[in-house]
Amino acid sequence: MAATGDVKRKSFFRDWILTVDHKKIGIMYALTSIIFFFFGGLAAILIRTQLAMPDTQVLEPQQFNQAFTVHGTIMIFLWIIPMLTGAFGNYLVPIMIGAHDMAFPRMNALSYWLFLLGGLVLFASFFVGAVPDVGWTAYPPYSIESQGAGLDFWVTAVHILGLSSILAAINFIVTTWNMRTEGMTFNRMPLFVWANLVTSFIQLFGTPALAGAVTTLLLDRHFGTVFYNVAEGGDPMMYQHLFWFYSHPAVYVMIIPAMGIVSEILPVFARKPIFGYKAIAYSSIMIGFLGFMVWAHHMFVAGMQMSEGIPFMITSMIIAVPTSIKIFNWLATLWGGQIKFTTPMLFVSLGFLGLFTIGGLGGIMLGAVPVDLHLHDTYFVIAHFHYVILGGSMTAILAGMFYWFPKVTGRMYNEKFGQVGFWLYFIATNLTFFPMHFIGMAGMPRRVFFYQPELTTLNQLATLGSYLMGVAALLLFINLAYSLFKGEKASQNPFGAQTLEWTHASSPPTEFNFEAMPVVTADPYQFGEQKDGKSLDDDGVTA
Amino acid sequence: MGLSNFYLPEAITQTAKDIDGLFGMIFWISLVAFILVEALLVIFLIRYKRKHPDKQGLAIHGNTKAEVIWTMIPALILVGIGIYSSGMVYTIQEPPTDVYEIKVTGMKWAWEFEYPNGAKTYGELRIPENENVLFKIYSKDVIHSFWIPEFRVKQDAVPGRETRFWVKAETFNNAENKYEKRIICAEYCGNQHSNMLADLQIMPADEFTAWVDKELTRPKTDAQYVIQSNGCTSCHTIDGGKSAGPTWKGLFGKKQIVNGQEVTVDEKYLEEAIMTPDAKTPEGFNSGMMPAFQLEPDAMKNVVEYIKSLK
Ligand code: HEM
Ligand SMILES: [Cu+2]
Repeated sequence: MAATGDVKRKSFFRDWILTVDHKKIGIMYALTSIIFFFFGGLAAILIRTQLAMPDTQVLEPQQFNQAFTVHGTIMIFLWIIPMLTGAFGNYLVPIMIGAHDMAFPRMNALSYWLFLLGGLVLFASFFVGAVPDVGWTAYPPYSIESQGAGLDFWVTAVHILGLSSILAAINFIVTTWNMRTEGMTFNRMPLFVWANLVTSFIQLFGTPALAGAVTTLLLDRHFGTVFYNVAEGGDPMMYQHLFWFYSHPAVYVMIIPAMGIVSEILPVFARKPIFGYKAIAYSSIMIGFLGFMVWAHHMFVAGMQMSEGIPFMITSMIIAVPTSIKIFNWLATLWGGQIKFTTPMLFVSLGFLGLFTIGGLGGIMLGAVPVDLHLHDTYFVIAHFHYVILGGSMTAILAGMFYWFPKVTGRMYNEKFGQVGFWLYFIATNLTFFPMHFIGMAGMPRRVFFYQPELTTLNQLATLGSYLMGVAALLLFINLAYSLFKGEKASQNPFGAQTLEWTHASSPPTEFNFEAMPVVTADPYQFGEQKDGKSLDDDGVTA
Repeated sequence: MGLSNFYLPEAITQTAKDIDGLFGMIFWISLVAFILVEALLVIFLIRYKRKHPDKQGLAIHGNTKAEVIWTMIPALILVGIGIYSSGMVYTIQEPPTDVYEIKVTGMKWAWEFEYPNGAKTYGELRIPENENVLFKIYSKDVIHSFWIPEFRVKQDAVPGRETRFWVKAETFNNAENKYEKRIICAEYCGNQHSNMLADLQIMPADEFTAWVDKELTRPKTDAQYVIQSNGCTSCHTIDGGKSAGPTWKGLFGKKQIVNGQEVTVDEKYLEEAIMTPDAKTPEGFNSGMMPAFQLEPDAMKNVVEYIKSLK
């Protein structure tokens, strides 16, 4: 890798396996989760192939169930979350706040190795032929009764991954709190750092609930406890409460850092300060806080009284407000800009803003209890969360990968193929997921491996889209892989950005990130010029 | 509403129509928001495209007035939607006092419907037209979800709990007033989750009463009854189609490989396969899938005769 190419080569083992350098750990997170993503994508293609015709028999029912379980688990626990917090967080946070490393470098390495271990445990289930088939939510009593060791692998994996995220979260919080360089006040932190900080708090408070939920599954299965055994006075709904108490906030773990990436990239290519820095930073805190009060909107039809859903409906509606604040602030950042269409900019503007908006609006429909009575557990839900997770989080991940590629590798990616990749990805996302809204409305539940013949055309569009998505993903990753060796050499700050990793660190950064500790005097988005020398800015801040 | 109704199935109750109304309302509000955001996005992207490599944008850091406006407007709209929806929740939740109760039980992988006179049906639900019907929903094993898209309502069938919803059905837009396979299990419940379907028929009240009385006297050893009540068809097809278990069509007299040996399927084989399925797993299928059924002699005889008849 170019990052170490110039240095006299030590052993691979010392360089990578024993490393405690946050940058290398970030890179290892990225490479590992990209490999996992490849398998998750393969599972998705299998699922969509099975659904290409109303009664195809590409997969046995059992294999189909395993495919969607593995797909969901990989995409959430092994791709989106580790990529955003593990890879981007680790690589960027210390440099962005002007630190040499994380507060606890060894613990940082440990959280990577736990992540890898958790992933391998899940994959080990393939080799012993006990792939979990319980869905990524693993609701009991089905999950407890399901045959074979699949659930055991799943729970063990989720556990190890949870431990890894808690360690990482503590590390981020302490690092951000204590290791900011001179002048880096909270209100001068790059918005990605803000996002990462809020996310870490969510992980810290949410993950124990998940750990509790899945542990009790194992105890019920092997040690005779009766948490979810109705005959003995247990209650399967308790699992759902615990599970969603973590897993709803987890959707914000997947989206807040993505929003952070968007907030970094937009100003650089619009050549404008971010509009409403504080609103963007503080609305993340609000989202993080409210995120813990909406979990039961996943349970409107799960056996609660319908009216018990009302408080959760109201909080779900309220949480859409800080989200819309961000959308309008980003739009305002584009207004009056000088926009340059690079691959990362396309991904965050048309890609993230365009797609995430659709997902958010779908979420409002699901949030209304009466409407959810019809739409819950249908393809409409699948459409909604793929627009937010794939259209939102993953789009931001791709934007970030292209944006920071020159910094991390010292080489430029290929702009032309990057843009072709973007357009393919954008079209494929809409082709795959837009029809699913209608499929769900018309009456197709999720997790079924055949459906009514009337829905064939819409399903085929979705399947076609998923193949196109495969091509797009290959194109994007091949671009990066090729550029790693053959890309043009990148300068220190090819995009003219103002965060510390661009202004004070070489491409790639040296072992201790900076030659001398940077001193910060303003927020990192001082772009733009005054119109006629007069300030339009009512906060009195001038560039 | 129009457009938003496009892919929604027929609405056959007032509640369903009300829910569609709410859906339509949110849909139109969303559409406006959608067009606003996407249009501004595209317009800004085109209008402010950079022409000179070194040009800078305007140095605007914020505008408190604008930010307050675009915070308050969505907040008011969303809270409005929330309050309006809350009112509707109570209407949907409270059943009228005069209701006809049907007990719905989900099991792997079939639906059982029990009427007040004790009659039970499987795979088929009939209800009287224009009467208030209350479903009390149970589960025998794992969580299922009782969903009829035409009613716009679903409720999970949770072990150890009773869930419920009520409907007052008008008529379907088809001649027999019947929809096949429109009772759907919406919560993932295992291998034959996709197959956990049942038919729905709405009958004029007097016809319904006659039907439900007759249904009570139907013999419990009748092959159809035994097959449906035990959920056999969720894994076995009768038309040669592939499913979790071997199809029954042409099964009788066929040669199968069982435990490495070739055997011919006869009466005795079938009886054993039903009572001790794991001892008799034919090649290509997994043992442990089928539960053992202890049928009464008459019931067994009728079932075996039925399978024999499927040539
Ligand atoms: C901000 C980013 C968001 C993400 C990442 C996200 C993610 C998800 C996911 C993963 C699910 C599927 C859960 C499952 O059933 O397995 C889901 C469902 C849901 N989301 Fe979102 N969501 C987001 C925003 C919203 C918003 C803004 C709202 C409401 C205003 C919302 C409301 C809902 C509701 C009510 C459900 C449950 C629907 C059902 O299961 O029937 N979401 N979301
Ligand atoms: Cu079910």
